Amino acid sequence: MLAAGTVAGMNVPPELRYSSDHEWIRRDGDSTTVSIGITEYAQDSLGDVVFVEIPDAGTAVAAGDSFSEVESTKSVSDIYAPVSGTIAAVNDQLEDRPELLNSDPYGEGWICTIEMSSPDEFGALLDADAYRALTEGDE
Amino acid sequence: MKTSPLDAQHRALGATMAEFGGWEMPMAYPSGTIAEHMACRGSAAMFDVSHLGTVRVEGAGSFDRLQRTLSNDLGKVAPGRAQYTHLLDADDASVVDDIIVWWHPGDDERFDVMPNASNTENVVDALGGADTTAERAVIAVQGPVSVAIADRVVPGIADVGRFRVGAVDCGGAQCTVAGTGYTGERGVEIAVPVDQAAPLWEALADAGAVPAGLGARDTLRLEAALPLHGHELGPGITPLQAHLSWVVGWDKPEFTGRKPLLAERERGVARHLVGISTEGRRPPRAGDIWHDDRQVGVVTSGNFSPVLGHGIALGFVAPTVDVGAEVEIDVRGKRISGVVASTPFVTR
Repeated sequence: MLAAGTVAGMNVPPELRYSSDHEWIRRDGDSTTVSIGITEYAQDSLGDVVFVEIPDAGTAVAAGDSFSEVESTKSVSDIYAPVSGTIAAVNDQLEDRPELLNSDPYGEGWICTIEMSSPDEFGALLDADAYRALTEGDE
Repeated sequence: MKTSPLDAQHRALGATMAEFGGWEMPMAYPSGTIAEHMACRGSAAMFDVSHLGTVRVEGAGSFDRLQRTLSNDLGKVAPGRAQYTHLLDADDASVVDDIIVWWHPGDDERFDVMPNASNTENVVDALGGADTTAERAVIAVQGPVSVAIADRVVPGIADVGRFRVGAVDCGGAQCTVAGTGYTGERGVEIAVPVDQAAPLWEALADAGAVPAGLGARDTLRLEAALPLHGHELGPGITPLQAHLSWVVGWDKPEFTGRKPLLAERERGVARHLVGISTEGRRPPRAGDIWHDDRQVGVVTSGNFSPVLGHGIALGFVAPTVDVGAEVEIDVRGKRISGVVASTPFVTR
């Protein structure tokens, strides 16, 4: 979905999990709720983000479903649910400040949380090393 | 893929490179498209546009060849002037290419014809002349203080007015400078010999021109409602449909495509190019245009306007749909509300 960026040495926080669609997934302890966003690699490839389609809380999603879109000045990217469940909280401040995906992709640029219906799916996500290898393979 | 004489400069700056008309060119620098766009609107940005073609047409008969081939009336200008013009298709008056002609100062028969990158061969076929693209780089310096900055680096540039062409000495090399651009801002485009391109680029940067990529060039030209070949101009699209009747020398006895264009003027256009302002930030990049529950047209370019803070688009619609009409754009199944707006979207 994304063209390869040209900047080496992307930040890939070790405590997060990742999808091959360049999203990150944060789970605190054994919580069944995870938060998600796009990776530094993804935001770098997209360029300046100008619009994020904020998903509706309460929407049921299945792993692999596209449920949101992120638009930059040069292209549009789908956001896929990395796990199945129900969208719980959404980051409303992205409506006016979509550039948070560029400036703080792992923090203030989070997109939403998902209450997992099948927590086992979490274990199948990539760890930081596997994700880093994936992005380096892209380049 | 071709690379610019300034390729090493772009890479040193950490540019994101992308393919553009067979050239690998900077799309954006780490500053990002929006910051680069705003630098151009607020102060001065510089763009490597070496991918544009240069076709040198010179010698006896050159004026006549251009005058009977290209759409605009070269007789309205003179040596030392630049003119925007079209090369039209002989059969249907489609815009084969849109072109700036630089008429060298002090020489009645010496022209640099600047086509779009991918159309250079078409233009050489139509006009003859020599493809001199590889001999120079072209740096566009654009923005409210661009000419002052460029003049500090290359004294004499400030004497080259809007749509004027001058020969200026830059560091011992002869540069051709035109008061042209593609941003809606005041500015100059400098054609510099390849071996002098890097020092000029560096000097302009030191003087305060912000390097900007082709991403920003596209959002800037869209705010200025300037057409892009392959989007607002191209096969099946005539200058009349694009509201570029002023690019046509109607009084000339001959230019390629004159007959079909006159016929279209007689019967009226079946569609015309308009600007649309949309609600919200989502870029209306492509999609069908709807009005009164009918599909009336299609978007050719759209994006987020950094200056206005909402979406803007250009597109072709039925002639009855004009400024003030409320429309919707279908962006991948989602309807965005908009209104046909007067253009340019951003005026300087």
